[in-house]
Amino acid sequence: MLGQSSAKIREKMIPILIIDDDVELTKLLEEYLQGEQFELTAAHDGPGGLEKALSNTYSVVVLDVMLPGMSGLDVLKQLRQKSSAPVLMLTARGSELDRILGLELGADDYLAKPFNPRELVARLRAILRRTNNAPSAAAPIHIADLELHPESRSVTCGGKPVTLTGAEFDLLYTFLRSPGKIISREDLTQAALGRPMSPMDRSIDVHVSNLRRKLGTYDGNHERIKAIRGSGYIYLLPGEQP
Amino acid sequence: MTLRTLFVKIFLCFWLAAALLIVSLNVMLWVSTSSEPNPEKRRGAFGEALNLYAESAVQVYDREGRQAFGQYVDRSRKDAGTEIDLFDGKGDPIAGPSSPDTAKVAQEIQQSGEHVSHLTSLGRLTWGRPVIAPSGKSYIFVTRLRQPYVPRQLPLTGVIFTILASGLIAFLLARYLTSPVKKLQTAVQSFAAGNLAARVTPELGNRKDELAELGREFDHMAERIQALINSQKRLLADISHELRSPLARLSVALELARKNSNEKAEPALDRIEKEGERLNKLVGQLLALTRLESGAEKISSETVMLEDLVQQIVDDANYEAKPLHKEVIVTQLQACRVIGSPELLRSAIENVIRNAVRYTPAAAEVEVCLQWKLDTAELTVTDHGPGVPESELKNIFQPFYRVSEARERSSGGAGLGLSIADRTVKLHGGTIEASNTESGLRVTIHLPLAPNHRPPDADSSHAAFSPASLASG
Repeated sequence: MLGQSSAKIREKMIPILIIDDDVELTKLLEEYLQGEQFELTAAHDGPGGLEKALSNTYSVVVLDVMLPGMSGLDVLKQLRQKSSAPVLMLTARGSELDRILGLELGADDYLAKPFNPRELVARLRAILRRTNNAPSAAAPIHIADLELHPESRSVTCGGKPVTLTGAEFDLLYTFLRSPGKIISREDLTQAALGRPMSPMDRSIDVHVSNLRRKLGTYDGNHERIKAIRGSGYIYLLPGEQP
Repeated sequence: MTLRTLFVKIFLCFWLAAALLIVSLNVMLWVSTSSEPNPEKRRGAFGEALNLYAESAVQVYDREGRQAFGQYVDRSRKDAGTEIDLFDGKGDPIAGPSSPDTAKVAQEIQQSGEHVSHLTSLGRLTWGRPVIAPSGKSYIFVTRLRQPYVPRQLPLTGVIFTILASGLIAFLLARYLTSPVKKLQTAVQSFAAGNLAARVTPELGNRKDELAELGREFDHMAERIQALINSQKRLLADISHELRSPLARLSVALELARKNSNEKAEPALDRIEKEGERLNKLVGQLLALTRLESGAEKISSETVMLEDLVQQIVDDANYEAKPLHKEVIVTQLQACRVIGSPELLRSAIENVIRNAVRYTPAAAEVEVCLQWKLDTAELTVTDHGPGVPESELKNIFQPFYRVSEARERSSGGAGLGLSIADRTVKLHGGTIEASNTESGLRVTIHLPLAPNHRPPDADSSHAAFSPASLASG
């Protein structure tokens, strides 16, 4: 009876890799996440974690930035060269630089350590929801020099392909579905990160600024995405002013 | 270079001393020589020589005749630049007179029967005396010496030249003395600005004097401070890690406990969670404050749009204030650009606004106003709370300061928020102060504006953003 139910659970278990040098913490998390249908595998150093992450058998990689030997950011950099596995970063609270660097290097989301494990589960679920979205059969979107293909999740700008992370793609897709309209930061967070915005949460702004940087400007000097104070962001159509 | 620099001081002092010495020496010399113009009185030998000179000249004329005397006079003029005039006993000229001076002197001698000497304006001595030749004839001998003795005039060009030369020496000396001081200053400034690797000994070369010693002492000190700051930075990182790791484990263990416990344990577990969060926040604030005060925090120099930052913080604060029936309202929001770290400024302003929200009673507002005046951005945050006693206004920026123990405890503040705001604003070259208004406490932050603080005019940017320019792109 017990064996049968645990086998059933294992069937639905989602494999997660955590790279964190705190052995006791990973043990506790393993126990906690088991109840949430996640099967946690732990690696306690950078090179070992990278090797496991590259095996592509995990749905999400949880990566601590502070690792002995090889920094978490270096692990992320090397991982991104070969794999697009979703990455959730754990950063020290107050270390904004790590956070921004991590998101720029292609992490999907971050969580300040120490974190509430319920929040960790919510973030993991959000990432999974986004990555599990079946490729959409929706028609490609053309706006000025920009082309977005939902089925292949690819973007070209001025004919050149643009490499976007999962979150950045979803963010751009949200913008392009309602160009010229103000979208609140809450809605953008929900759409791009698959979770509600929390107070003091700046990750959406980092994603927007990454997107701006990767897409460049219209005609060399006009921003495509404009911040509207107190409201959110707007994707400007060519020749349009809010 | 101002008059106050050590270089100028040393240079001027030495030069002045040297110039005074040169001038006074010359004046003394001049005074001592010109106060006694009569050479025979001053120096017997000189007078004897002149007497001999007069006698030998008269003998030449008396014995060898006019022609030999003429040759003698020519030789004297050529060799020594000395004019010799000879008059007979009645004062009538035999040879000469070569100048009106000599004629005058001869006349005086003829009248007085004594020797006479005159110092003329050009510094030439005209000297004469009656001479009785061995033949018994009496003559009057007058001579004009070109430069009979040491200058009687202040040698101005010489003095000026020596003063200029001493100026050059004083300049070199001052530079030699102050250049290591300058190097030391550069090193100290660079060190104070955060370059902990700044050293002065390599700059001083082979110097071995007291200044070089000072430089070496500075280097020793710099080394120690560098080691201390580095170890403090490491310590901060270690503390951060070591304090937070147990907290991270605690929060996971807590959630596990929740799963395995019944409802009765909920309030206690909630309390554990709340205290854990409080501890975590306190650790974060303490680390932030220590980092700010140790100078370990490097301030980035980005252009920060203060109005956007303030609006975001107000939005976030409202997110937390609304459930408490409080509201943060923006009364004015002018575009202000400042240079600094957006993250540090965010936490500083956030702390001030949160503090205001905490003390504002329910159903009341916190007013936030951002405007620029001349070259500063002024942010005021006014609450409707109880205010702070006038004498305590300055103390509220001290760490862990509490106006009222009981009230602060109940409102859950750690007492570090305003300290962090204070240190951050000061690091950005600004000021922060508190004052009481009729409604409550007002905290005013002044920050220096960026040189390019005024955003481009909305109208002009609209004109530049034309559809035509985009169609081609």
